[in-house]
Amino acid sequence: MNIVVLIKLVPDLVEELTIDSSGAGLDLTFARWIINEFDDHALEQGILLKEKNGGTVTAIAPDLEGVDDVLFTAAARGADRLIKVKGDFMAANNHALARSFSAIIQKFQADLILTGVQAHNDLDGSAGPLLAECLQLPYVGYIAGVSVNDGKSMLRKEYPGGLLAEMEVTLPAVLGIQAAEQPPRYVAVSKVRQAMKTSSLEEMDASDLGPLGAPTVGRMFQPEATTHAEMIEGSPEEVSAKLVGLFKELGVM
Amino acid sequence: MNYEALKSVIVLLALLTATGVFVWRAYRLLWVNLRRGQPSGRFDRWGERIKGVLVYVGAQLRLFRFLVPGTAHFFVFWGFLFLSLTILQAIAEGLAAFANSHYVLPIIGEWGPLALIQDLLATAVVIAVAYGLYLRLVVDPERYRGSHKGAGVKVLGFIMTIMLSLLVMNGLRINLNEDLLAAWRPVSTLTGRLFASLSPAAQGLIEEIAYWIHLGVVMLFLTELPTGKHFHIFTSIPNVLLRNLEPRGRLPAPQSADGTAGVGVMEGFRWKQMLDFYTCSECGRCQEMCPTCRSGSPLSPKLLIMDLRRNLEERGAALSASSKNGILSKSLAGDVITDETLWACTTCYTCDQECPLFIEHVNPIVEMRRYLIVEGRVDKKLQDALANLGRYGNSFGQSERMRAKWTQGLQPAIRDARKEPVEYLWFVGDYASYNQTLTDVTRKTAEVFQRAGLNFGILFDAERNSGNDVRRVGEEGLYEMLAEKNLQALSKCKYETIVTTDPHTYNTLKNEYAWNGNRPRILHYTELLDELIVSGKLKFSKKLDTRITYHDPCYLGRYNGVYDAPRRVLHAAGCELIEMQRHGDRAFCCGAGGGRIWMEETPGRERPAEIRIRDAAALTNVPNFVVSCPKDVTMFRDAVKTTGNESRFQVKDLIEVVYEAM
Repeated sequence: MNIVVLIKLVPDLVEELTIDSSGAGLDLTFARWIINEFDDHALEQGILLKEKNGGTVTAIAPDLEGVDDVLFTAAARGADRLIKVKGDFMAANNHALARSFSAIIQKFQADLILTGVQAHNDLDGSAGPLLAECLQLPYVGYIAGVSVNDGKSMLRKEYPGGLLAEMEVTLPAVLGIQAAEQPPRYVAVSKVRQAMKTSSLEEMDASDLGPLGAPTVGRMFQPEATTHAEMIEGSPEEVSAKLVGLFKELGVM
Repeated sequence: MNYEALKSVIVLLALLTATGVFVWRAYRLLWVNLRRGQPSGRFDRWGERIKGVLVYVGAQLRLFRFLVPGTAHFFVFWGFLFLSLTILQAIAEGLAAFANSHYVLPIIGEWGPLALIQDLLATAVVIAVAYGLYLRLVVDPERYRGSHKGAGVKVLGFIMTIMLSLLVMNGLRINLNEDLLAAWRPVSTLTGRLFASLSPAAQGLIEEIAYWIHLGVVMLFLTELPTGKHFHIFTSIPNVLLRNLEPRGRLPAPQSADGTAGVGVMEGFRWKQMLDFYTCSECGRCQEMCPTCRSGSPLSPKLLIMDLRRNLEERGAALSASSKNGILSKSLAGDVITDETLWACTTCYTCDQECPLFIEHVNPIVEMRRYLIVEGRVDKKLQDALANLGRYGNSFGQSERMRAKWTQGLQPAIRDARKEPVEYLWFVGDYASYNQTLTDVTRKTAEVFQRAGLNFGILFDAERNSGNDVRRVGEEGLYEMLAEKNLQALSKCKYETIVTTDPHTYNTLKNEYAWNGNRPRILHYTELLDELIVSGKLKFSKKLDTRITYHDPCYLGRYNGVYDAPRRVLHAAGCELIEMQRHGDRAFCCGAGGGRIWMEETPGRERPAEIRIRDAAALTNVPNFVVSCPKDVTMFRDAVKTTGNESRFQVKDLIEVVYEAM
């Protein structure tokens, strides 16, 4: 089985975030790029599937600072192929990411494409469904359990409020992973160092990284303290009537 | 064939059989099994090694740490040495019986003073063994839990029988006027009087029976020597001779080819470590003193070594057998020693220090942890801590840019050792830098340094966790990475001395970092304060006149022998020091070391820190519990609360006491 895991790198929230001079985006000059937590789970799920059913895992990630470490760590955990996609990803949105990655992923004839269900910098929707659209493949998100059998995959999907669903999807498909069946394993530094010696990074060029398709950000700002909050009380009908009135007052309806 | 000739033949056969069994068993254990181990490195410093044998085997120095049992063992040991000559005599007279029924060895059997020593020592051994039996059967202290009681009692029975049969035999020979040295054997003479009323023929018969019992038990003992706890009689001398002479705080580098894999099977251990396993006499001193064991964890250093020994023996036999055996599929970490046991160790070094025979416990534990790390078998909390250490260089998961946040607002500003030369480079450490409850203590340290006129600086965001406990967790690769980064940062600075807040940092900087022959002077801050007081740079404006007790951190005390400097500083500040019962090299670990502070705790157990706080609570009218390790501050402040001792005393860092007295 051919599994491809799309890994996004996101700015580390441990560092203080600042808005750039345009006022419409983050100042990423000093950002520390780390693997998106959900993609870490997607990678783990991919490796678990490989360990159970055989096959190969291809990890693919954009060329941002620290990507080599992320990919070699993936190799130390069990990924077979490492793809570094070259291009200016610093300002690329998820539409661009999906477009450029789908062009590359198409070449792999993947049975299963895994990615994290979301990332904290998904301003234009999460990457999974966008990628599925580009590849013309089915997408199922919020997955916390995957098994594969005979060209089909049985999925455990989590809904808010503790509801669970089991559903079947015909492969190939794109899955948005909420949590791997086991938490991502620890990989010793020595194993990463070994992977740096034994595995190689394949570089591929990103095609189109333009912002097309995504909404334009008008202004980005730190949360602002407001003076008060108004609690709307009453029966559901009364609350909705008040809300409609409020929206009209604000000119959004 | 007459009786004398038959006696010679039987003694010869018994001797050959017993020696044969002994040599065969010892060959299997010491030659075949040990050869499967890894190389043990070059043994050198023979003068020091031989001196160690004289002090620790000859004078039995470490045994006296348990005074009464130690004294008993001292007499059994020396009795055994001197009385082995009487065994020689017994064998020789048996072998010579066909020609001379009263054969006496030259010198050994003829020299009066030796006979006196033997006679008295035999008595001492009888008393010591009786005490040993009392200890085993009546007292049965905690340290014997899990030891082979039957084997222990059996060996005591052997020795008792050998001694009593000797005294009876000698006594009867005196009665029968067969002993030329009768005057030199007062105890034997007294023993003989018990039989004086019997006829000479009956006495002769009993003497002969005593001889056979004496010789028979000696031979039996010889065949049993290379099994279980008895083997230490044979292996203790080479084990102490070949003991690890490296500094206590220096872990051995991994053996494996890639340099990090750790020990996953018995043959991954060095052969000297295997000799350690054989040498355990199951005395349980380690078990009694181990803070982890005391807190109810499954780890007992003694049981760990015994389990390893069993695996070594079983595996050795299985490897030698031609057929496949289930033993071989047992994994060392997991089946033989559970993961929980391996992770429980705080690496406090108490077990290694208490062991009279220099068996290493901490090193094999860390080597097996290295295997678990490579296998990814770590708990969630530890995994997060290691991931943070890898990414940010600290276990708190905070940006390195926040490392020196505690310096904000200090006047004058702390110097940046990367930008200007300083005399003292202060390696602050993770806990002192990031832990918010310790910020005040760290700032006071800086103020004390400033007021003493010290020219010092820090590395700011270039400092990383020193890696001492990362190494002890078994994450060798991460340790190397952290050490490289620190050494790189330090190599760009000009300084004369490194001062550390944390004893753990102190240990690895001093004993493990690759300074390539250019190791700078490294001081713990208590040592520096001691120096500053002596040179008059640090002056106190008042005598505190308060009663305190002081807790020795493992990595400062046991590992590096710094006991006096902190006490001198406290004394100079006007404190009256009241020692807890366990202090100095017997200080009871707080439970944080060896990476334990990053791991999940098992609920429901009394933690080592709480046990330690009870030590302090046993003192009357001592309102201050003083420590000199940042981790101790957090561990003990917590334990004081959980044990409900908040009203009785306060946990203070030594620097707070100094600050108060300035």
